[in-house]
Amino acid sequence: MKNERKRTFLLITIPILALFICFNTIPLIRGVIYSFTNFKGFGSYDWVGFRNYIDLFSDARVGKSYLFTFKLAIVSTIVTNVIALLLALALNSSIKAKSFFRGAYFLPNILGALVVGYIFNYFFTYILPALASMIGIESLKSSILSDPGSAWFGIMIVCAWQAIAMNTIIYISGLQTVPEDVYEAGGLDGATGWKQFKYLTFPLIIPFFSINMVLCVKNFLMVFDQIMALTKGGPAQSTESISYLIYNNGMSGGQFGFQSANAVVFFIVIVCVSVAQMKFSGKKEEQL
Amino acid sequence: MMKGKRIKYLGAALCCIMTAFVIQGCGKAADGQKVEIEIVQYKPEAATYFDMVEDEFNATHDNISLKISSPNDAMTILRTRFIREDYPDIIGIGGDINYSYFVDAQILSDVSDYEGLKGINQGYLDIAESLELVPTEGTYIVPYVANAAGVLYNRDMFEEHGWQIPETWDEMKALCEEIKAEGILPFYFGFKDTWTCLAPWNAMAVELSPSDTAKQVNSGNTNFTKEYRELSEKYLELLPYGPDDPFAYGYNDACTAFARGESAMYPIGSYATPQILSVNPDLNIDSFVMPASDNKEDRTLNSGIDLGFCVTADCKNKEAAYEVLDFLLADENIQKYIDDQNAVPCKAGEFKLSPMLDGMLEFIEAGNMTDYQDHYYPSEMAVDAQLQTFLIQQDVDAFLKKFDTDWQRYNRDIIRLVQAYEKEHKNV
Amino acid sequence: MITKKTNWTAMILLILGLSTIVFPLYLTLVIAFKQPTEMTNSISGILSLPKVWSLDNFREAMRVTDFWNSLRNSLVITLAAVGLSIAVHSIMGYALGRNKAGSKFYSFVYLFIVSGMFVPFAILMMPLAKQTAELGLANWFGVILLYVVFYMPMNILLYSGYLVNIPMALEEAAKVDGASTWTTYWKIIFPIMRPMHATVAVLTALAVWNDVMTPLVILAGSDQNTLPLAQLNFQTQFGTNYNLAFASYLLSLIPILIFYIICQKQILNGVVNGAVK
Repeated sequence: MKNERKRTFLLITIPILALFICFNTIPLIRGVIYSFTNFKGFGSYDWVGFRNYIDLFSDARVGKSYLFTFKLAIVSTIVTNVIALLLALALNSSIKAKSFFRGAYFLPNILGALVVGYIFNYFFTYILPALASMIGIESLKSSILSDPGSAWFGIMIVCAWQAIAMNTIIYISGLQTVPEDVYEAGGLDGATGWKQFKYLTFPLIIPFFSINMVLCVKNFLMVFDQIMALTKGGPAQSTESISYLIYNNGMSGGQFGFQSANAVVFFIVIVCVSVAQMKFSGKKEEQL
Repeated sequence: MMKGKRIKYLGAALCCIMTAFVIQGCGKAADGQKVEIEIVQYKPEAATYFDMVEDEFNATHDNISLKISSPNDAMTILRTRFIREDYPDIIGIGGDINYSYFVDAQILSDVSDYEGLKGINQGYLDIAESLELVPTEGTYIVPYVANAAGVLYNRDMFEEHGWQIPETWDEMKALCEEIKAEGILPFYFGFKDTWTCLAPWNAMAVELSPSDTAKQVNSGNTNFTKEYRELSEKYLELLPYGPDDPFAYGYNDACTAFARGESAMYPIGSYATPQILSVNPDLNIDSFVMPASDNKEDRTLNSGIDLGFCVTADCKNKEAAYEVLDFLLADENIQKYIDDQNAVPCKAGEFKLSPMLDGMLEFIEAGNMTDYQDHYYPSEMAVDAQLQTFLIQQDVDAFLKKFDTDWQRYNRDIIRLVQAYEKEHKNV
Repeated sequence: MITKKTNWTAMILLILGLSTIVFPLYLTLVIAFKQPTEMTNSISGILSLPKVWSLDNFREAMRVTDFWNSLRNSLVITLAAVGLSIAVHSIMGYALGRNKAGSKFYSFVYLFIVSGMFVPFAILMMPLAKQTAELGLANWFGVILLYVVFYMPMNILLYSGYLVNIPMALEEAAKVDGASTWTTYWKIIFPIMRPMHATVAVLTALAVWNDVMTPLVILAGSDQNTLPLAQLNFQTQFGTNYNLAFASYLLSLIPILIFYIICQKQILNGVVNGAVK
C-alpha cells in the first residue's frame, strides 16, 4: 500500500515537473545566459562577463526603482489585505443581496488597464483637485500624480483598488473552510465580534492569509500595468518600478542583456522575500 | 489498472489536440508559382490604407501575392520574429535609433540598386545616411513619408486677434506675451506623458544645436553641456506660457484642451492633428516652424522619416520586393497616404499637402529640414523622462551633467564602435 | 439555534464602499456612449450624460475588434487553460501538499515550482518566443500550454494551502476500503476541493482573459486575435479613441463577469462544511 501511494505520487509529479522545467526553467536559464552579454534583443552580441551585474549595483536608476517598488509593495500589501479581509467578512456575513455585492466588488479586477488608467487619471487630475479646493484642502489642490513626492500614493490607491477583489475571493474561499460549529461552540463561550475573529476565525484562515501575502507581495513587487496606465514612470522618474525598467529598457529598448541581469537579481530578491515570508507564516500555522 | 488507462487516454487526447494544431499550422496553401512578399509595418493607424494597397496590388499583379500586416505593438512583434529568424520580406519602420540598430545588426539589405530611390528627396536620404551608427556602404531604407514638428496654432484665433507668425526667438516670446495679455493661454503642454516633452525640445534643437551633435559627442569632439545649454535655458523660458501644472496633464488632455480653444498654440508634431480633430472637427489648425534662434538664417524645419521601407537581408526575391515598393511609391498611392495621415511625402514631386502644413510649406518645398535630435537617443536612456525631471526641477547644470554622464553609460558600445571605426579610417 | 439576522453594520459598510465602484463604472458607461466630440476636460462635462443614447459605439467597437471571432478565440483559450489548470494543478497541488512536510524531495519541488511565480515575464519572453517556434508550438496550443505552466505556481500554492484544512482521516478511511491513491484523489479529494477549483478557475480565467503579452509574443501578429489583442486597435502612438475603447471593454467584461458569478456559487456551496463534520 505504501509503495503504491509513493509510486502514484511520483508518476504525478515527474511529468508535470518536466513540463514546468521545459517552459519555465529552461527559458529562464537562457535568459540568465543573455545577462552575461550585451545583447540588444536582435543581431549579434558579445560576452561581457559580469559587467551587467557590476553596472547594476552602481546604477542609481535601478537603486531608485527598488526603493520605489518596495515602498509601494509594502504599503499596498497592508492596505489591500486589511480591506480585503474586512470585505470578505462582510460579504460572508448574513447580508441581503449577497450575489449582487460579490459581483459588484469583483468588478475593479476586470476593468481593463486602459479604462482604469483613464478614469483614475481623470479623477486625480481634475476631480480630486476640484473637490479639494471646494473643501479647502490646500495639499490636494494639484494633481497628486504630478508631484514626484506623492505620485506613488496615487498608484498605491489604484493597485489596492484593483487587487482587493482577488484577495477577497481567496479570503472568502478560506472562510468556507471554517465549519459552522466552530462558531456555535465559540458562541457558547461568549466569543463574539473581535474576539471571535481573533481566536476562532483568523487562526483557521491563516493558510489563506499567507497565500494572500505571498500573492500580494508578488503582484505588487512586479507592478507594471498600473504604472503604464497612470504615470509611465513619471513624474521625474519617481515611479519607475523594477518591472517597468526591465520591460521598457530591455524589451522595447536596447538593453536586453543588462535588463536580463536586472531580472535575475530581482528574481533572487523576490524569492528570498517570499521564502522568508512563507517560513514565517509556516511557523505561525504550526503554532496553532 | 485504472490509473494507467487514464494517463493513456489523457496522453492520446493531448496528442490529438497537438496534431490538430500542427495540421492547422501547415494549412497554408502553396499558391502555384506566385512569389509571396510579406510586409510588416509599424503604423497601425494607417492600417486601412495598407489594406487597400494590399487589395489593389493583388488585384493587378498575378506573379506576386502581397501581404501587409499593420500589427499593434509592431516593434515587439518584429523583435520576436527576428529572434526566431523568421524575417518578413519588407519592414516598414521609422527613421530612429531602432533603424540604426537594425543596420548595425545587418538585418537589412542594401537597396542602393533600387531605381525608385532616385525619386526620393535627397534631404531624407541624407537623414537616413546619417542615422547609421558608423558610415556603412549602401542605402538601407526607402524613405516613404515624413512628419514635421513645430507649433500647431489655432488659425481662427490668430486671425481674430491679428497675431503674426514669429520668426525669431524674440518674436516668439513677444507673441506669447501678447497672447497672455489678452487673457488667453499661449501654450498647452501635456508633460505628464513624458514623450511630449521631446516635441518642443526637438523643434528648438534643430535651430540651436548642430544636427550631428550626438555623433560629435560619440566621437569625443564635444559634449552636451556645451551644445545643449542654450536650448535647455530657452526651454525653461517657455514654461510660464503654459498651464500652471503642466505635469498633471497628458497628451490626450492637451489635445482636448487645444481642440476646445483653451490655448492658442500647442507645440507638438503634425501627427497630433487627428486626435485634436476627433474632439473638435471644426477647428482650423495650421502650424509654423518653432523659432528658437535670433538669427533668421538658422531657421529650419524639424522633420524626420516617419515611415520608410527596408528590405530584409533574408528576403528571397528582391525583384519582387522592388516591384512592391514601386507600387507603394506610385504618386497616387503616396497622395492617398498623405491625405489620410497628414504626412509629408519623402518623394520629390507635386503633391497636395494638408492645409495644416501651410505654415511649413516653404521649408518643405525648399528642402530645408533637419532630423529630430531624439532619433539618436537610445530609448533606454529615457531622455524624455530626464527632460520631464529637468522641467520640474529647473536645474540646467544638473540636467546637462546627468545627460553627459548617462550618455556615456548608455552608449558605451556605440561609442566604442565609432571610435574603433575612426581609428581604422584615420589613415585613409 | 438562532436564525441568521441580517447584519446591518456590514450592509451599510458595503453600500458605502460600493461608491468606489459605482463611480468609475458610471464614468465608463457614459464615456462608452459618448462621441469623441463630447469629450472635455471639465468635470461637469465628463459627468454629464451622453447627448444621445445610441449603440453606435458598441456596433463600431464590435466591427473594429472583429468581436465574434476574437470572442471565440478568447473563450476557447480561456476555457482550455482553465480546464487544464484545474486538472493538472489540483493533482500536483495534492501530490506536493500531502508530501512536502515529510519529504525533502517534495518540499524542494514545491518551493521550486512556487518560486517560478517570481520569474519576471520579460526575461522569459524572448527565449520562449524562440523555443516555442523551435518546438512547432507557435500557435494556440502553445499559448494554452504556456498558461498552464505560468499559473502553475500560484495555483499549486492555492491548492496545497487549501489541503491543510482537509483532514487526512478522509483519505485514510478510503484506503481502508482498498481504494488506490489515484481513485481516492478523484473520488474524494477532488470533489472536496470544489470551492478551491472555483477560486482557481476565477483567478486563472481572469489572468488569461486579460493577458496581452503571451499571445502577442507567441503568435507574433498572426491574424487571429484575442479580445485584448484586438482592443489594442483603439490605441495608437498618437491617438486613442476612448469612446470606442470603453464600449469594447464593457463588452468584453460581460463574459468574465458571468463566469465569475457562476464560480462564486460554487465557492459558496463549498461541501467542506458538511464533509469535515
